[in-house]
Amino acid sequence: MAARRTRGMTGPDVSRSTVARAASIAEQLRYECSILLELFREKESFTADVLVDGRLVSVAPPSSQLDTRDKLWRLHSALMQCRSLLERAIAREEEELGGGKKGDYETQRKMVKDRLSYLLICTGELLKTAGGAALLTPSLEGLELDGPTALFELKLWVYRIFKEVDYWTKTAITTLDALPSVIAKERVRTSRVRTTRSTRR
Amino acid sequence: MPHLSVNPSSKPNCSTVWLISVLLGLLAVHTNANDVLTVPQQVSLSTNMDSQQLSISWVAGAATTFDLMILRTELNESVFYETVSVMVSQLSGRHEWNWTSVEPLQCTSLSIKVRSREGQSTSEWSNTEILQGSDLPSEEEWQMFPLDRVVPVGANTTFCCIVKEGEQFGTINYGNTVMNTTRLSRRSYATTVVNQGLSRTSGTNVICYNSFKELKIGAVLFVGYPPLLSDFVCETHDLTSAVCLWNERNTNLNTKTRGTRHTLNNRTFTLSWSRNPKKECRVDHWEGNWTLVAVNPLGQYSLTDSAELSHRVTPVAPENLTSVAHAMNATVLWQWKYDGYSSLALVCQVELTSQGYKTNHTFSGVDLRAVVLPDLYPYEDYSVQVRCGAQQNFWKWGSWSETMSFKSSSIVPEAPDMWVWMNKDYTGQIFWKPLTRRQSRGLMTGYEVTLWSPGESLQHTDILPPDTFAVLVNLTLMATASSDNMVMATVTAKNTEGVSLPASVLIHLRLTDPDPRAVSQAVYTDSGFSLFWQSEVNTTCAYVVEWHNASCKWNCPVDWIKVAPGNTNVSIESANFQPGVRYNFSLYSSSSEAPELLQRWQGYMQELVPSSPVLSLLTTQEDSDILLTWGHIPLVSRRGFLLGYNIYISSGSQLTLLANLSDPGSRSYTVKGLSEGSYKFTVKAYTSAGEDTGATASIMLEPFTDWLILEILASLGVTALFLVIVTFLCYKKRKWVKKAFYPDIPEPKLPGDWSRSQAPLDVKPPHHSLVHMVERPEWDSSKEALVVIPEEDEDEDGQGIGDELVDTDEQTSLRYYNQVVDERPIRPRYPDSSDSSASSLDSARTDVTYTGIHTSGSSFVFQLDPQGSSEGHQPQADPSFCAGGGGGYRPQMQSRVPSDDMGPASPNPFPEPQAASGYKPQSSWQMDSPVDDGEGRSRASSLGSPTSIASTLFLLPDGEDHTEEKRQPSSSAATWLTNLLSSTKP
Repeated sequence: MAARRTRGMTGPDVSRSTVARAASIAEQLRYECSILLELFREKESFTADVLVDGRLVSVAPPSSQLDTRDKLWRLHSALMQCRSLLERAIAREEEELGGGKKGDYETQRKMVKDRLSYLLICTGELLKTAGGAALLTPSLEGLELDGPTALFELKLWVYRIFKEVDYWTKTAITTLDALPSVIAKERVRTSRVRTTRSTRR
Repeated sequence: MPHLSVNPSSKPNCSTVWLISVLLGLLAVHTNANDVLTVPQQVSLSTNMDSQQLSISWVAGAATTFDLMILRTELNESVFYETVSVMVSQLSGRHEWNWTSVEPLQCTSLSIKVRSREGQSTSEWSNTEILQGSDLPSEEEWQMFPLDRVVPVGANTTFCCIVKEGEQFGTINYGNTVMNTTRLSRRSYATTVVNQGLSRTSGTNVICYNSFKELKIGAVLFVGYPPLLSDFVCETHDLTSAVCLWNERNTNLNTKTRGTRHTLNNRTFTLSWSRNPKKECRVDHWEGNWTLVAVNPLGQYSLTDSAELSHRVTPVAPENLTSVAHAMNATVLWQWKYDGYSSLALVCQVELTSQGYKTNHTFSGVDLRAVVLPDLYPYEDYSVQVRCGAQQNFWKWGSWSETMSFKSSSIVPEAPDMWVWMNKDYTGQIFWKPLTRRQSRGLMTGYEVTLWSPGESLQHTDILPPDTFAVLVNLTLMATASSDNMVMATVTAKNTEGVSLPASVLIHLRLTDPDPRAVSQAVYTDSGFSLFWQSEVNTTCAYVVEWHNASCKWNCPVDWIKVAPGNTNVSIESANFQPGVRYNFSLYSSSSEAPELLQRWQGYMQELVPSSPVLSLLTTQEDSDILLTWGHIPLVSRRGFLLGYNIYISSGSQLTLLANLSDPGSRSYTVKGLSEGSYKFTVKAYTSAGEDTGATASIMLEPFTDWLILEILASLGVTALFLVIVTFLCYKKRKWVKKAFYPDIPEPKLPGDWSRSQAPLDVKPPHHSLVHMVERPEWDSSKEALVVIPEEDEDEDGQGIGDELVDTDEQTSLRYYNQVVDERPIRPRYPDSSDSSASSLDSARTDVTYTGIHTSGSSFVFQLDPQGSSEGHQPQADPSFCAGGGGGYRPQMQSRVPSDDMGPASPNPFPEPQAASGYKPQSSWQMDSPVDDGEGRSRASSLGSPTSIASTLFLLPDGEDHTEEKRQPSSSAATWLTNLLSSTKP
């Protein structure tokens, strides 16, 4: 567990707009991640089926027993680790493999990092809305931030980080879609009313 | 060296001793050799993995030559086996030799052993030393060597992939390329990349895949260049610090760990990456000597520079440019960033730009901060920028300042360039050229046009807006009022600053025809229409060349150009010139007097084919010829100088050239020698550019009737001429003709008086007629004999004749004809005159028709013998005609003939023997003719006389006054001939 929970979360009342914005950002991040992965594979002559096994981000295993705040906390923690790893990967890449003219890959990489930061802000707001903001202090302890020394291993490590970001972005989309927001409830209620009226007609 | 010992004194055992000695010698040699070639001992190995170098050292005494063998341990393959010369190290007392492996030393284990060599002799091999590779079973994982290598462009690099225990090797890829591999050991595979090109920025990946094409391990290779520097100099901008500049090529190694590191005078500095090869480094103080060193993993490069500060001054760009502008000049001011410039002697360059054109002005001085720019145009936009350099020990120009713009002030405009075009009356136009921006010198407000008669002080002024450049004028009133026939036209331009000087042209009011001077052709070249003229002697006037479209006749839009005095040629070029348009050029003298026309030209910028064919092409038949006529081509359609016309005749779709008329003034052409039929003609005018499309006209050539008439008339004329000639010839040869065609017929010897018989002749064939027919042996018995027509028959015939409305006279005469005559047409019997004569002679039976009996003999008679005929012969005098005695045929009683020739020949009238039995002329026959009795009687009397059918002559009775009257015409031609011959009778 890479984070420490300090206070329990009580209610799942999160605003619909924040969830929607977070989901939208996550969708955009997923798209940008896919482009970044494609650019990286193209740059390094990797095929799409390059296998990178093992996870770099360590969080609590998913469970149906987790409530909304725990799910948000887990997601937020994973995304924070992703951002730390991504920042480190960018730094290592610039130091060992970068230099020269900046191209599409570098632009996309920065875009993903910035989008991930926006998503983190949103998930932080959701946590705050859920009453768990002060309780959450994600820890990067134990996170492998240095990476390998061999350059090829370094490239594989960077690629794994990009894949990790992509994985947790998809997880964020799933988690956010599954959030039982108040608005969603209202929408369900409104929908039921409309269905009833339609039936009466 | 082994010795050979031989004892020559022991002769008895010589061979035995010699053999022993050889064996001992060989043994000695072998023993000595084993003593020198020591086996290398204490073989040791040391490695440099980066350089893939293996250092082998051993102890082998004084030996210097060794055999060195390196094997791949697992597969026992020889990698290196050579004889090398290695000296003993004085320091360590060991032999040491370095070997560089193609493959990384980690790829597989190597076995190394050494032996000494002396010529062909070698020692035993040393103990084998093994350099352990990374493919030992203890290292199970995937490995690849070398890792993260940096190599220069063009190098060869060998990579090896060590397969994980239990897995199978797949491929090694270099970038996207699958490489060929060689197996070094059970788990180690190698590949070599040759002549490597530049790698990617992040390096080129060398990846090892397993047999399932799964990525297992990889390495990164960087390929680049060692540093290369040039043009290293240091200079100063602020007169204190130094800025060092140089050029450096891109090494392709840009990462922090592999990028180029720089030091200047042993002080490290960092350069930000830039594609620009120009690099610079700033140093706070001027050191005078500098050393630049650049190092990267592939090598290093260094450059030095040294200079005094005053020799390396490059001023900074002037700042804060300002200006003070006037109409003709402007002052430009600026400031310097450093105070030290106040004592610096500078040279500055000012670049002035106006309407796209740049001019440079150079100024110099100490503490230069302002300059005056002269020769500016009023009301003009300018932009200016400044750069400077050190005036002393000039090093280089500093940077340009930022651009500063200003506008010069405005003043009154220049006088416009004007010209006048007059029509053929007192109307015309006054033109002036629009003032350019520079000529207007300010914001234009309008033009003022003034007409005034100097003698009469008449004046008329028009104020016109600034976009007007022509005005129509009517000088009729001024012409009537003016006594000197001169009007001065003046144009002035006005802008916000005032009015320009006037431009004037003096106009003659005399209406004269255009100058009859010859018009020359102007030739257009690349530079325009080139016009030349003779310079007037003692003239200093300028010229004006005016031109306009030649097809314009009234209020023409003209253009003109003024030519300075002394010039005798000018090239006229205008964007308005159009191909195919004729332009008139006129050269005028330009002086204080009215312009005088000096010369005229016409020309085309480019001649084209006429745009329309000739007008009114007509075809007219003239006799058997065809006249083509046509009208002119309008000037606007000619589009070139006409050179002539081509006349074509079209046959089907093809045109055949009939004629080329090189006279452009031709308006007609006559086509001759054509037969009847339909023709189509095409007339094409042509210029130097070619022919027009042509005008076509058709005509149907009719037969020429006048000519037919002429032919007929000519035929008749020829016939008449022939007859005249024949007549003439006959006249000339009348004796012959008479002899040939009218031989004298022997007079019948008639007993009795024929003349007294007035009763109708009743011819009854007597048994013995008094008329003795001349017998001819060749007489054809088949011919009908003379038939005597009874009166009854006559009456019947007479009735019938009356019904037939036939001339009864003739019919009457014919009733006495022989039957043969009735049945056959009269035909001439010539040319055989003898036959004719014979016919006459045979007339009693056949051919001779008795139409009446003359009381006197006819003046023309045919003779039997043509050869014997003659004018003086008397018929009765010819004895041949008198065969048969006195009962011979004598119908032609010789009448009274006035001719002397005939007189003697005329016989006396014969006495009529019997009225019933003899031949009697029908003197009593009356012809229904209104002629007088005498004549009628004579003619009647001739009827019934025997005559030749051919001659149609009658035997004329006596009493005839004229020979002509004795004849009875049987045909007009015969009559005419008879008359002719009669008239010629002497």
